[in-house]
Amino acid sequence: MSLLQREREIIVNNEYIDRFDFDEVEEFIKGASKDLFISYKFRTSDHMLVQPRGGFPTYDKVFQLYKEFKEANVDVLPLTIDSNTRLNDYASAKKMLALSEENDVDMLNGYPLVNHGYRTTRKMITHYNTPVSLRHGTPDARLLVETALASGIFEIEGGPITYLLPYSKNFPLDKAFLYWKYVERVCANYSKLNEPINRESFGPLSATLQPPAIVIVIQILEMLLSLEEGVKSFSVSFSQTGSMLQDVVSSNVIKKLSRKYADRFGHKDATINLVYHQWMGAFPRNKEHSDSLINTSTVIAAMVGADKIITKTRNEAFGIPTKEANAMAVANVKYTLGMLKGLPKVGDEEEEENLTNEVDEILEAVFNDGADTLWRQVFNSIKKGYIDIPFSPHIINANEVITIRDPQSNIRILKKGNLPISEKSFAFERSKIKLAEGERVVEKIIQDIGIML
Amino acid sequence: MSKLFIDIGSTYFKVAHEGEIEQYFRDFNRNIFDDLSSKCADLLKQYEAEDIHICSSANGGLSTLIIGLTNSFSLKYAINIAFNSGINIIDTVLYPKIEQEPVPTEMIDVVIVVGGIDSVENVFDEKLLQYLEKVNYQNIVYVGTQKSVPFLQEKIGNLVVLENVISDKLKIQEEALKTYLTDLYQEDIMGKEDIKQLYGITANQIFSTPYIVNRSLPRINERLDVADPFIVVDIGGATTDIHYSRDLVNDNILTESGYDRLVFKKLGVFKSRESLVHTAKNNEFVFELLEHLNVTENILEEHSEKATRILMQLAIFLVLYKVSKHHASYIELNLEILNSIVLTGGITKVLTQEEVDDIILFFYKKILHFHHAPKILLDHNYEIWTYGIKE
Repeated sequence: MSLLQREREIIVNNEYIDRFDFDEVEEFIKGASKDLFISYKFRTSDHMLVQPRGGFPTYDKVFQLYKEFKEANVDVLPLTIDSNTRLNDYASAKKMLALSEENDVDMLNGYPLVNHGYRTTRKMITHYNTPVSLRHGTPDARLLVETALASGIFEIEGGPITYLLPYSKNFPLDKAFLYWKYVERVCANYSKLNEPINRESFGPLSATLQPPAIVIVIQILEMLLSLEEGVKSFSVSFSQTGSMLQDVVSSNVIKKLSRKYADRFGHKDATINLVYHQWMGAFPRNKEHSDSLINTSTVIAAMVGADKIITKTRNEAFGIPTKEANAMAVANVKYTLGMLKGLPKVGDEEEEENLTNEVDEILEAVFNDGADTLWRQVFNSIKKGYIDIPFSPHIINANEVITIRDPQSNIRILKKGNLPISEKSFAFERSKIKLAEGERVVEKIIQDIGIML
Repeated sequence: MSKLFIDIGSTYFKVAHEGEIEQYFRDFNRNIFDDLSSKCADLLKQYEAEDIHICSSANGGLSTLIIGLTNSFSLKYAINIAFNSGINIIDTVLYPKIEQEPVPTEMIDVVIVVGGIDSVENVFDEKLLQYLEKVNYQNIVYVGTQKSVPFLQEKIGNLVVLENVISDKLKIQEEALKTYLTDLYQEDIMGKEDIKQLYGITANQIFSTPYIVNRSLPRINERLDVADPFIVVDIGGATTDIHYSRDLVNDNILTESGYDRLVFKKLGVFKSRESLVHTAKNNEFVFELLEHLNVTENILEEHSEKATRILMQLAIFLVLYKVSKHHASYIELNLEILNSIVLTGGITKVLTQEEVDDIILFFYKKILHFHHAPKILLDHNYEIWTYGIKE
């Protein structure tokens, strides 16, 4: 038995798991409908896939949610996992699930997949026969991902950086890398049985003034960490920045560089897709403005040629959306996309050149780290502040980089901290920034964060 | 070229070479060097001094007193660094209450003074000096705000000043103090005749065994079926060490290693037997536990093989209890998410897998209300330390 398999046996031997039957799961995945695989859907679709967010504690509510989504002609279903499960606190999730079921009140902010178990969840997934994407935010997702794959969920979002630094204060980053290595290997192994399991990185990060160079560097690194374990289908992603130009530039650069680095590292056979997240920052409380924001981001998604768009709802400022509001958002996005076919390719040569240089410069510093493995090179680079996510709550993050918007709303690097970008690249960033007479940076940051309010 | 690894314990010494590990019971009528030389003469001849690596837990470790400004930062950080440096005996003094704190009566090997980030002024004053006058110590190291350095250097002789363990961003900076403590440990063992002679056969630094064990943990799953997060429980004759994966705790310390160490200095089955029995008798679950083991309270007063086995099982239970959420102490481990427990040290020579499984399952059922326990492994071969000494 391989080392990985021995570890898997330990992981699934858990208080909250009914007997985990690896052979049965393998047989299930071998014979699973191709329609459950988003990798197959990416390959065979002629349109951008639309995926909402959503998850409720009880099986029945998620079942109903999926019904609404299917009626809205959704392409990919979400399964958002509750916070307790994300923290591996299955005991609390179990209690809250029981309370939710008894009182018909949502005591969890998502679906406690581990507690429901794969045998139950699989019934729902196979019933709708539509790809499901696992949305969580878990640093140690080993048991969750085992359960998801056994349930028929063949897209796994996240990664050691994107599901840690924006979400956690003190979970050890080295452990996150190793736990995600396990996830990649399990996904890679199952990918040999049928269509590939798709892994998707989480580009929005802390969703607050993220400089595109950092986003793209992290997307490429998580992609390489995944591909080196044998994953064959990977989605890079980013979220609406607040500047249409910057979104277009980011998409052109991320597509070009993710392919370049995948090939450079010997992964020519890997399929890479692009995912675009509608606005992830603070939403306006005015629902008509929210509608406009969502429509605009749909237009941008079409312009950047995303393979998948992840939607928001007009209720975003008010909490977890109802299934009806969520389904309406899907229907509206689908309708808007219908009008946006055959758009011309646009770009900005100077901006693309600068962003490409920044990404290459940071990646070169990462790859030049003396560690003997890629994950440790990345780990060391984060410790040294070569990769620095603005507004990350995590104690390992340097938090030296400061970003603000230029007059065209592009996110610019005002203070570079330890980012290993050249003076030329940094000078380009600084040249775009215009602070008004007497304007304080902190006030500008607050204003820039709330740009959509 | 292959290497020879030697671990000097208080009861056994272990010798590892070419993938083989041999153990020798100590002959207490001889000093360590003579004992080792007589039992392993041929082996020692085969290796150059550069290829022999030694660690030792035979000298009892350094006694340490830490004086800190707050529990949340200075004391917590300094304790963490001291534990991870292989220091065994720690008393702490909270500086704002220093006038009410008792003064340790025993000789202290090293006093650590810590507090404040570098921009903070006027942290320490005469109260510290008055307290230190009453303490019998050999070394004193300062790792607090740099603003207090002139005052302390003027007033305290032989003060060693190192980088502040608290950064301006309130992060832990462990390297300087950790290096100082491990070097001090080496000086201490060089001063002990028994160990001093060992430098005749090795050209490498002799480290403390707990430090080496801690260093070995990232590699443990290469040899044993262990899944993170895990703990290693080392129950010895005098103390019990727990090495734990950092994702089992929820605090703001970010150290170089993914594993930290915690020591229970009065939980041992031979030298600390009395305090172990005392701790057991004061534990609210002990009678249910004894009933579960099908023995009466009288077993705690007996000196028999069976009594030793029961005491070892008690030690396992108590150490888990002390780090669980039911017992507020320096560290609370999230035992609910534990995947593996590894036991090493003297108890693996005595207890069977069934006895260990039984007591740990009892703990999980009784204290955590679980129906099953994590995977439990016994380091029968005493090999964990060999993974860390190779570096």
